[in-house]
Amino acid sequence: MSHLLDRLNFLQSKELEQFSNGHGQVTRENRDWEDTYRNRWRHDKVVRSTHGVNCTGSCSWKIYVKSGIVTWETQQTDYPRTRADLPNHEPRGCARGASYSWYLYSANRVKNPLVRGRLMKVWRKMRETMEPIEAWTKLQADPILRASYVETRGKGGFVRATWDEATEITAAANAYTAKTYGPDRVFGFSPIPAMSMVSYAAGSRYLSLMGGVCMSFYDWYCDLPPASPMTWGEQTDVPESADWYNAGYLLLWGSNVPQTRTPDAHFYTEARYKGTKSAVICPDYSEAAKFGDVWLNAKQGTDAALAMAFGHVILREFHLDNQTEYFEDYTRKYSDFPMLVKLDEQNGKLVPGRFLRADDLDGKLGEENNPEWKTVAYDEISKGFVAPNGSVGYRWGEDGEWNLEEKAKEAETRLKMSLVLEEDYDDVVGVDFPYFGGEAFGQFKTDATHPDVLTRNIPVKKIKTADGEVLVATVFDLFCANYGLDRGLGGDWVTSDYGNDMPGTPAWAEKITGVPADKIAHVAREFADNAEKTQGKSMIIIGAAMNHWFHMDMNYRGVINMLVMCGCVGQSGGGWAHYVGQEKLRPQTGWQPLAFALDWNRPPRHMNSTSAWYAHTDQWRYETLKADEILSPTAPEGDWDISMIDYNIRAERMGWLPSAPQLKTNPFEVAKAAKAAGKEIPAYVAENLKSGDLEMSCEDPDNPANWPRNLFVWRSNLLGSSGKGHEYFLKHLLGTDNGVMGKDLGEEGGQLPKEAKWHKDAPRGKLDLLVTIDFRMSTTCVYSDIVLPTASWYEKDDMNTSDMHPFIHPLQAAVDPAYESKSDWEIFKAIAKKFQEIAPGYLDVETDIVALPILHDTPAEIAQDQVKDWKKGECDLIPGKTAPAFVAVERDYSAIYERFKSLGPMLDKLGNGGKGINWNTQEEIDNLSALNGVQLDGPAAGRPKIETAIDACEVILMLAPETNGNVAVKAWHALEKATGREHAHLAEGEHGNKIRFRDIAAQPRKIISSPTWSGIESEKVSYNAGYTNVHELIPWRTLTGRQQLYQDHLWMRAFGEGFMSYRPPVDLKTITKDVQDEGDTLVLNFITPHQKWGIHSTYTDNLLMLTLNRGGPVVWISEVDAKSAGIVDNDWIEVYNINGALTARAVVSQRIKEGSTFMYHAQEKIVNTPGSEKTGNRGGIHNSVTRTVLKPTHMIGGYAQQSYGFNYYGTVGSNRDEFVVIRKMKKVDWLDKEKSWEAPAQEAAE
Amino acid sequence: MDRTLKAFSLILSYPTRELQHAMPEIGGVLASDTRLTAAARRALRPLVEELAGRDIYDLQETFVMLFDRSRTLSLNLFEHVHGESRDRGGAMVSLVETYREGGFDPVTSELPDHLPVLLEFLSTRPFAEAQDTLADAAHIFEALNARLVRRESPYGAVFASLLQLAGVKPDQEAVAEMLAQPDDDPTDLEALDEVWEESEVLFGPDPSAGCPQVRDMLANMDVPINPAPHQAAE
Repeated sequence: MSHLLDRLNFLQSKELEQFSNGHGQVTRENRDWEDTYRNRWRHDKVVRSTHGVNCTGSCSWKIYVKSGIVTWETQQTDYPRTRADLPNHEPRGCARGASYSWYLYSANRVKNPLVRGRLMKVWRKMRETMEPIEAWTKLQADPILRASYVETRGKGGFVRATWDEATEITAAANAYTAKTYGPDRVFGFSPIPAMSMVSYAAGSRYLSLMGGVCMSFYDWYCDLPPASPMTWGEQTDVPESADWYNAGYLLLWGSNVPQTRTPDAHFYTEARYKGTKSAVICPDYSEAAKFGDVWLNAKQGTDAALAMAFGHVILREFHLDNQTEYFEDYTRKYSDFPMLVKLDEQNGKLVPGRFLRADDLDGKLGEENNPEWKTVAYDEISKGFVAPNGSVGYRWGEDGEWNLEEKAKEAETRLKMSLVLEEDYDDVVGVDFPYFGGEAFGQFKTDATHPDVLTRNIPVKKIKTADGEVLVATVFDLFCANYGLDRGLGGDWVTSDYGNDMPGTPAWAEKITGVPADKIAHVAREFADNAEKTQGKSMIIIGAAMNHWFHMDMNYRGVINMLVMCGCVGQSGGGWAHYVGQEKLRPQTGWQPLAFALDWNRPPRHMNSTSAWYAHTDQWRYETLKADEILSPTAPEGDWDISMIDYNIRAERMGWLPSAPQLKTNPFEVAKAAKAAGKEIPAYVAENLKSGDLEMSCEDPDNPANWPRNLFVWRSNLLGSSGKGHEYFLKHLLGTDNGVMGKDLGEEGGQLPKEAKWHKDAPRGKLDLLVTIDFRMSTTCVYSDIVLPTASWYEKDDMNTSDMHPFIHPLQAAVDPAYESKSDWEIFKAIAKKFQEIAPGYLDVETDIVALPILHDTPAEIAQDQVKDWKKGECDLIPGKTAPAFVAVERDYSAIYERFKSLGPMLDKLGNGGKGINWNTQEEIDNLSALNGVQLDGPAAGRPKIETAIDACEVILMLAPETNGNVAVKAWHALEKATGREHAHLAEGEHGNKIRFRDIAAQPRKIISSPTWSGIESEKVSYNAGYTNVHELIPWRTLTGRQQLYQDHLWMRAFGEGFMSYRPPVDLKTITKDVQDEGDTLVLNFITPHQKWGIHSTYTDNLLMLTLNRGGPVVWISEVDAKSAGIVDNDWIEVYNINGALTARAVVSQRIKEGSTFMYHAQEKIVNTPGSEKTGNRGGIHNSVTRTVLKPTHMIGGYAQQSYGFNYYGTVGSNRDEFVVIRKMKKVDWLDKEKSWEAPAQEAAE
Repeated sequence: MDRTLKAFSLILSYPTRELQHAMPEIGGVLASDTRLTAAARRALRPLVEELAGRDIYDLQETFVMLFDRSRTLSLNLFEHVHGESRDRGGAMVSLVETYREGGFDPVTSELPDHLPVLLEFLSTRPFAEAQDTLADAAHIFEALNARLVRRESPYGAVFASLLQLAGVKPDQEAVAEMLAQPDDDPTDLEALDEVWEESEVLFGPDPSAGCPQVRDMLANMDVPINPAPHQAAE
């Protein structure tokens, strides 16, 4: 209908009535045309929310709602302003996020609770005559009934259930498992609390109340860079993106900012307008490469060699030939450069050993408290050895000297960095350094031949110790030698010529990385020169790519070394900017009590996922990597020839890593037995572990007593996008069809583990119940027994933070949850309620025993300065010292729901805190009672309510120093006690600043500076990690208290990683003769970077995003490689190795470097994937060809910064060292013919 | 009330024991509606029998697999009209308003464009008006019928009947567009490829002719977005 005919264009009627003094007039012509606009933009309300997806973006959005339906969304533009001369944060938000509201109503949504049909049928039948727990018990006791639903996982067959039924099955299974095997057989996996922290806390609170296990994610995703805890004693702390603008030199290393950091990329662009120079390092011609002033296309996996050459140049030109005053001053105060290292004699040769400790010296330098944990340096003022302030020994057991003042025993010091001058050293000796470059295989091989041990001359002092005369050298002197720098001391393997092909030089790196030596020297020089002129404003933005290699620590430590050498860490505009995973939960210390039910009982059960999945999906049975392949040629004498799982078992036994399950015997039974024997629980457990009457579960993961039995997955697509070793999950944990093609060690006749018990036949289907909570039908849902529909991001109240900006802002329920869905908070509350209903009489008040590893940032962290295994009789089993602590925890299963929704009394008693400090928080509890109200009756009577998700948000906001100024001031005062310095000025004037949920609903709020983090919120500087270490002289939480570039733990030295060096990718031997078909010759390195059309697996199945890409899975290969295998662009290709196969289309591009292939993670298995010719099953996802490989150095514990923390330290799921065979597919089969009742899972994909 | 439309609303809802018990009555209503041809009524019989007699769990599994899990068989009509475009929200709002104008408030957890909801609403309207609305969705019914027949599912007959009630020939172009899905013939690699292929980039001989990829994109953008049934009915 045209409106033109109704509208007067040239005339105005004189008859029109006028009003408001002629400012308004009545018209009579048809005005329907205006409805077009009204309809287009109509809404009843605008609600602030965001997309809780793991992209670190954390962007606030306006959601427009009409009649309870989301009609459209736009970016919020009301972020608080930055200061003058700094661009503002907005606009934040990207096309992916903008495609979300259409996702809300997608046909992919889970609409109702779904239960596997066969399970539902049996359950209802049994429930006619049985109580819930009895029914589940019977069901599990019948192997045929159990198998009937276990074996159909992943093959469709869901029916709808009511919430009541679904929660009842779940609660019954949990109760049965706790009673029969122990509550630690109930696992829960959910990642990244920062993206929706209350939704995370809902599940973890339920699990922690019932004694279940919360699984880590940051390490499992391989987003955790272990180099960060090693160097700084900090999980990860980074500058906000606004601080890029303050940099003078930006090095983008494996980070594709314009593609994957969309809302922040503008700071990168703006910085360049200001004159900031930028170098980009990545193997492919990425979007970031186009922004670089220079692009260094290093071969994938060789970054450490490049970093080493950079370091070589920086040391030569800024520390040795010229001594930059700023760099020298910085490294003396803030790094371990001046610390002394003992040189150990080994078969007549010398190798770097442990840090010299006060304990080694006669009289212990007068240190009575922890002398074995105080490192030693040579002081130029007193001309003697001193134990400088700040090392970990000062942190525990005494107050006031844990700081970075240049003092020892209250006297001023000036620590000596180098003994290179003749008057300073007693001798020059040859010291052995391992060289791993020669181990390179395949495409990483070069024509250079260097031995595996390089002996270099080092200036040393001789000192008398308790054990006789020893030689010591400074870290700096050893460090320079490690980089191959000639310092005029003679000897081999050092040079002053960049063109010399000797490990460490640019010429050497050129051969390995393919980057011309002169470019390397040029970039290194510019980087350091800028840092010198700007006092540290050189920054390295680094992406996940670098961290996903097996030897990621070498890449990262190479980068960190450069930053420390140039004094960049802790300076605004400088430092280490690792943005991988939205790890930054800003109000962390307020959230922890809620999330882990610390208000009711402590400690919670935390588990490092990588080790757990490795054991429970039986990937260890297929291990191809042997310890001797990664062991250093300079390793000290020892029992190193054991399997990776054996290392993990030892680590668990010595209290280094956590265990789940913990003991083979149900902990309830152990507690009862201890009571019957009249013994204290720790003593009883210790005694029986020693006698062998109790066994740790880790020693026999395949024994049915040690299987995980129930698994919750929420806010995650564990099987679809993060399940490294996907096919092993399917085969052993789930027990369904799978594509595992390799044989296990038993079948292969390989070397069997020494510590782990081997069963000839591996179990299949360990899980009794898999419950997934999601808003869309993900791959994990498809494999689950129960799928619960959850509220999506516009349907729930929650909070969101990121490391990219300092604001906290909410998710809000703009509309009611669609279909039958509920928020995570309500779902777990419902499960807890059901549990409380059915448990009494079966489980009431029970004593549980939690095995607690030695934790970082607790006084226990200085447990084991020597490695001793109680089981081998090297020491006694002392819980909490030489083994895990065993802590009795009372659980009231008959009050689990009441506890879930009330804040418990433990905080009143024990206070709150984090990262080694603690404060009284009674005032906040009282305020919460007033704000949320208190429970009037029941087992939690008088306690503050946490009924709704908003109540839960208020608990977090009230307890956290970042959102409650009063707490911030208390927290700084608590830290002042340890450091003996004044810090509270950082929160000055914030006493009364209390952020509430409704405040952040009105506008994102900037958080308050707190000692939980190492940067500050200020009007003068942007947030940057390490700022308070440098400017407030708060030590890093490491052994030396400084940024620690030398790692002296026995296992670090054994595996050759005392110092950073280049270690080529490892050969995982995943392409065997058995698996590689004749004629398939193209073998490529398999890389899985972040994509443009999705965020991990989210949005990847969204039609808009599929349309923008090619509509299904693609794999990128170079033109040259494609040609060699007869592949042209858009061909269907098959990618396989021993772990499985996947199918995709080929994108043939000049962008890709020869020898590598890209597949963006994670593309969904349910989207347009035809069947694989190789396995005959549906083509797998990208993790089908990967497998987890553990690294022993990540298992170290009980050793200052190398102590366990949840998501802080532990084994990581690396996956970049994989190789795959690629071939063109002959025939594409969509496998979409119905197979009787069990139609395959691809239906949703059409 | 139009008991036939109401019957289809029930048949397309999640099968329950209650529905099974009511199937003889529902079957009777359908068998006696002469607006449907004898062939159409005959075609409905297998579904009626299956719903009445088959194991409820098999029925429910089948329903979940077909209608909850398969995007191309979604019972949310706008999935087929707007997909995940931003027009979907607005279209649903219009539909809710239509229900309200008709004197009803939706009280279901289903979205307003859920076909059983719409059919229930239409069962309360004069047939001529219902017919108009059904006619707007005719191409969807035809496509769903074709897809269900391909899967040998008896549910196809419901959509064939709805098409008859609509009393129009569906726009074949729209149907063809909907049916142009990669599962047409899984063994035909070439047809399959065509769906995925991007147009070839050509340079010259006429450099001013523009980039064919951009031209295709622009052409796609020119295609008007299908209006919601309510708007189209105006």
